[in-house]
Amino acid sequence: MSSLAVPGKVRSGPARTLRVIWRHRAIYVMLAAPLLYFLIFRYAPLWNAQIAFKDFSPIDGVMRSPWIGFRHFLTFFHSIYFGQLIRNTLGYSLAKLLVGMPTAILLALGLAETASRRLRSVVQTASYLPHFLSWVIMYGILLGLLSPGDGLINDLLKRAGLQPIAFLTEPRWFPVVVVVSDVWKEAGWSAIIFLAGLLGIDTALYEAAAVEGASRMQRIRWISLPGILPVVVVITLLRLGNILDAGFQQIFVLYSLPVYSVSDILDTWIYRSGVLDFQLSLASAVGLFKGVIGLALIVTANRLAKRVAGSGLY
Amino acid sequence: MAKRLLLIGTVALLATVVASVAVAQKNVDLEFWVGASVSEAGPPPDNWRAYQIVRDRLGINWKIVLLPSTLGDQDTKINAAAAANNLPDLFQVNRDAWYKLAKAGLLAPVDSLLTAMPVRTMTHYDDVVARKMVTLNKVMYGLPEPGQMPMTDGFVVRKDWLDKLGLKEPKNLDEFMTVAKAFTERDPDGNGKADTYGFGAYLESSGLQQAGLGLRFEWVFGAFGVAGTWNTQDAKSFGLNARKSEFLKALQFIKGMVDAKIMDPDWNILKKDEYRARWKQGRWGMMHENFAALSTVANYKDFDKNFPNGLWVAPPPPVGPEGKSAENVLLKNVRVQAISQRAAKAGKLGAIAKLLEWMAHDEGYILLGFGYEGEHFKRDKNGNITVEGIPAEKQWTAKAQQPFTQLRNLVFINTDVELKARYVPFKTNNGRLQDPLAYWNAFRSYPYTDSTGAAIINPPANAADFVRYYSENVMKFVVGQQPLDEKSWTDWVAGLDKLGAKELEAAAKAALTEAGFLD
Amino acid sequence: MARRFGARYEVGFQVAVDAFLALVLAVVAVPLLRVIVTSVAPLSPEGIPGFAFLVTPWRWTFEAYRQLLGHRSFLNAAYISVVVTIGGTALNLVLTMLLAYALSVRTLPGRPFFSFLILVPFLFNPGLIPTYLVVTRLGLIDKLWAIILPTAINITNTFIMRNFFAALPEELKEAARMDGAGDWHIVLRIIPPLARPIILTIGLYYAVGHWNEFFAPILYLNNAKLQPLPVLLRNILLAANLNEYVEYDAYSAAPVQALKAASVIITTLPMALIYPWIQRYFTKGTLAGGIKG
Repeated sequence: MSSLAVPGKVRSGPARTLRVIWRHRAIYVMLAAPLLYFLIFRYAPLWNAQIAFKDFSPIDGVMRSPWIGFRHFLTFFHSIYFGQLIRNTLGYSLAKLLVGMPTAILLALGLAETASRRLRSVVQTASYLPHFLSWVIMYGILLGLLSPGDGLINDLLKRAGLQPIAFLTEPRWFPVVVVVSDVWKEAGWSAIIFLAGLLGIDTALYEAAAVEGASRMQRIRWISLPGILPVVVVITLLRLGNILDAGFQQIFVLYSLPVYSVSDILDTWIYRSGVLDFQLSLASAVGLFKGVIGLALIVTANRLAKRVAGSGLY
Repeated sequence: MAKRLLLIGTVALLATVVASVAVAQKNVDLEFWVGASVSEAGPPPDNWRAYQIVRDRLGINWKIVLLPSTLGDQDTKINAAAAANNLPDLFQVNRDAWYKLAKAGLLAPVDSLLTAMPVRTMTHYDDVVARKMVTLNKVMYGLPEPGQMPMTDGFVVRKDWLDKLGLKEPKNLDEFMTVAKAFTERDPDGNGKADTYGFGAYLESSGLQQAGLGLRFEWVFGAFGVAGTWNTQDAKSFGLNARKSEFLKALQFIKGMVDAKIMDPDWNILKKDEYRARWKQGRWGMMHENFAALSTVANYKDFDKNFPNGLWVAPPPPVGPEGKSAENVLLKNVRVQAISQRAAKAGKLGAIAKLLEWMAHDEGYILLGFGYEGEHFKRDKNGNITVEGIPAEKQWTAKAQQPFTQLRNLVFINTDVELKARYVPFKTNNGRLQDPLAYWNAFRSYPYTDSTGAAIINPPANAADFVRYYSENVMKFVVGQQPLDEKSWTDWVAGLDKLGAKELEAAAKAALTEAGFLD
Repeated sequence: MARRFGARYEVGFQVAVDAFLALVLAVVAVPLLRVIVTSVAPLSPEGIPGFAFLVTPWRWTFEAYRQLLGHRSFLNAAYISVVVTIGGTALNLVLTMLLAYALSVRTLPGRPFFSFLILVPFLFNPGLIPTYLVVTRLGLIDKLWAIILPTAINITNTFIMRNFFAALPEELKEAARMDGAGDWHIVLRIIPPLARPIILTIGLYYAVGHWNEFFAPILYLNNAKLQPLPVLLRNILLAANLNEYVEYDAYSAAPVQALKAASVIITTLPMALIYPWIQRYFTKGTLAGGIKG
């Protein structure tokens, strides 16, 4: 605590901190513009989100609308669809994570391990293409494949003598369609990140392992996978934080009355009840609810990740 | 001398400047959010004559914004602007959304406007029921434009298929099923493939008034006397049609249709455009369709090309076991044009009235409804609108000219002149004369279930959940995802009660009684 | 030990990997092929033919493309889309890189605080209306800025970039500092060549987002001349569903499915062509590690 009387050097205390800050002054300048963005476009709207606790009237504005506490949250919790919404939302998020991430990693490994440069280039390009399609467009593709009347898959089924399946309107199949189509669309894109990570691993490690006699599988297991672990952890944590965002765009475009029970997620409900029905405070309340859950998950998962995998989000 | 000229010149210049500034300041800025009549065609061009006339003669700088194409997007955009208290001066809005905005105090009362635009009020707003639809606490908060024609949708059958199989037009539900099965099984188009169905439909439910399966199946409910969501026959029996046992029977009939596989199997995932594309491909022999979508030259040509000898006829809707029938439920339909409270506070009501009045007759009406006379259309000796002598790409109905008549919604009131201009008879590929209005007249001559007053029933606070519960379960009953019998139906109705059906009925009944719709 | 994994194992492994990749290719390609084939399908009573048509389109027409590309507003909409994509992506990259680098400096005082500051909005997304209120207050309604600024920094991308920057060899940064270079020099001159793959990837990610964006323009923009391509295409496709005046139907010389498919191709093609061009920069010098077996 007490600084030694060494001339010219300050050991500890506020003066030292100031010097460190001064050394990093360029960084703080760099932070200025991004932080300004966050202040205006991320935190100011959050300030507006207090209407979740108010009876918001556009005439009165955010500040003058009266407080009503948790009433909107209770409306939300008491909705007859509350349980279903949570189940669907969590279900889709987890399913997409558990199916999508390993698929992307597998694809990245395949691309990294192949000897044929041609094959890698072609497959990589083809696999990321679906990412560029918006869901509005994907709906057309899926209809062309899955419609019971003349979809491609049902055409094949009929030729094989089987009954056509109404993939998009059968509650048993719809979740499968959602998850598989999402993986189809995003796996190639996610694989890019992992592939970039894999290609960045020091070749010396592989050579050393080969010399020791390790097989390809062993090299993958012990070098490649740990090498991309930090990226995997970051992405997984981020997706956990967003676990109550199950993909509004996709569901909104694909869902229809026959499958509401297995497709309605929090965001589609907010859209109908909050925005379309002009219950703005309710929409805000649900948004805050999502945030609280996401925060709890990330904080827990981050702590776990740091302990187990050695790296975390922050 | 020179000095005096200079002085005069300077004064004149100053005067001009002051005058033009004054004139410019006199011009009111008005922003309209308009429901486009043709969503992909874009707004009128910058050099549109109407802009000039309005600016110079009425003193209004008029800005037109086309609303997004889907109802959901429209409501989102309007509600977002409403939340920011930034609504435009005049905008089109659907009634359910209008109700929420009016309750929030965001809309201006229009009573003062009505007196300021006598011609328009007389030709557009003389319908008492329509006025009631936009009235809240005895004050009108919107203008009920009459644009939409009533009784436009009806039951139609492929006559050429009937003839080929030696069948007659079905008069009741049993005959309907017979014909439907025949269409499905006996290859009425003679192409050797089992690719035809008896009935084609798609889901068109929206909001409480059209909850359930939607418009395309209302004739079935009509055959059981329960068309529409509400039973408004009299005060004693008023309530949701869902409570009546005939409703259960109607559901069972539709389920029978599904089970007998006489419908196109994609029926519950089709969207409107695919539905229309399919009947033009000859997929089914009976349906409930809009007369203009069925029979006008632009819409019929694809079907005509594929099936030159095809012919759709409009028989009366099939009769149910108790002898009842109805094409559809008859609801008052208006397009609400709302004016924001902000505009009223800014003193713009006078200018708005002037503009609306200008477009209600003569020059404004013609310009907005049909385009430039002589260039887009001509008048024949009876004063009717015609395109004789106008090259095809310049006609007011041509695709390239659509931007000029995007504001049709604000001027059309379904006069004879209008209808004759819009629905022109034409010769089909095999020389037959087809008149779209003939279909409409046929539909109008058949029974409808009158539920006019129901249009003023306001949605409940939990409308989204209520409508979902209603429609989703009807769907599940009909496709067999849950059993359909007395017990399950009673449970469903009990579920509606748990969501506040009784309170909704009570409020609706009070509103209707007060407005004089129930005796 | 080396003997256990002989040549046969190597070959088997390669075959398995290549077979897997071929399978992926088929799974991805078949639906895309179907879209291309549907986009050139002509009007016919049989509708869009099935399986066989996938392999050999024997009747085709470019009518759908003609109608979409020939639309009077197409060029304007495409121009707006290009402007928004290029301008927006540039802004995205500048802001994200600065932020990511700043957060990657381990010795920065207050680093966890700033990281948390960035994380909070990620979790608590205030939603449509609160953001709309801010945009209105700033007077950005009906200006292109309204669709670029609110999403200027994507937090996921920031974290990914931060991690990549942090993983770069510390020695290089130290060496630069020894030479007297400041952090600005590091982030502008030293990092970009090293982190090129991730910068290009994130840039492409942002670009695709801008290119496909249709909801923000519908919400914030009123002027028809500012509507980007996705909005125009959406209007054309939905027109058949929504025309009140159904006596004038939508563009129908081509089947509606062909129009939809053609709009898919038109929207996807530019992005699809850019990536292979960028891909060259990815693989220079970094491939060696993975394949040398």
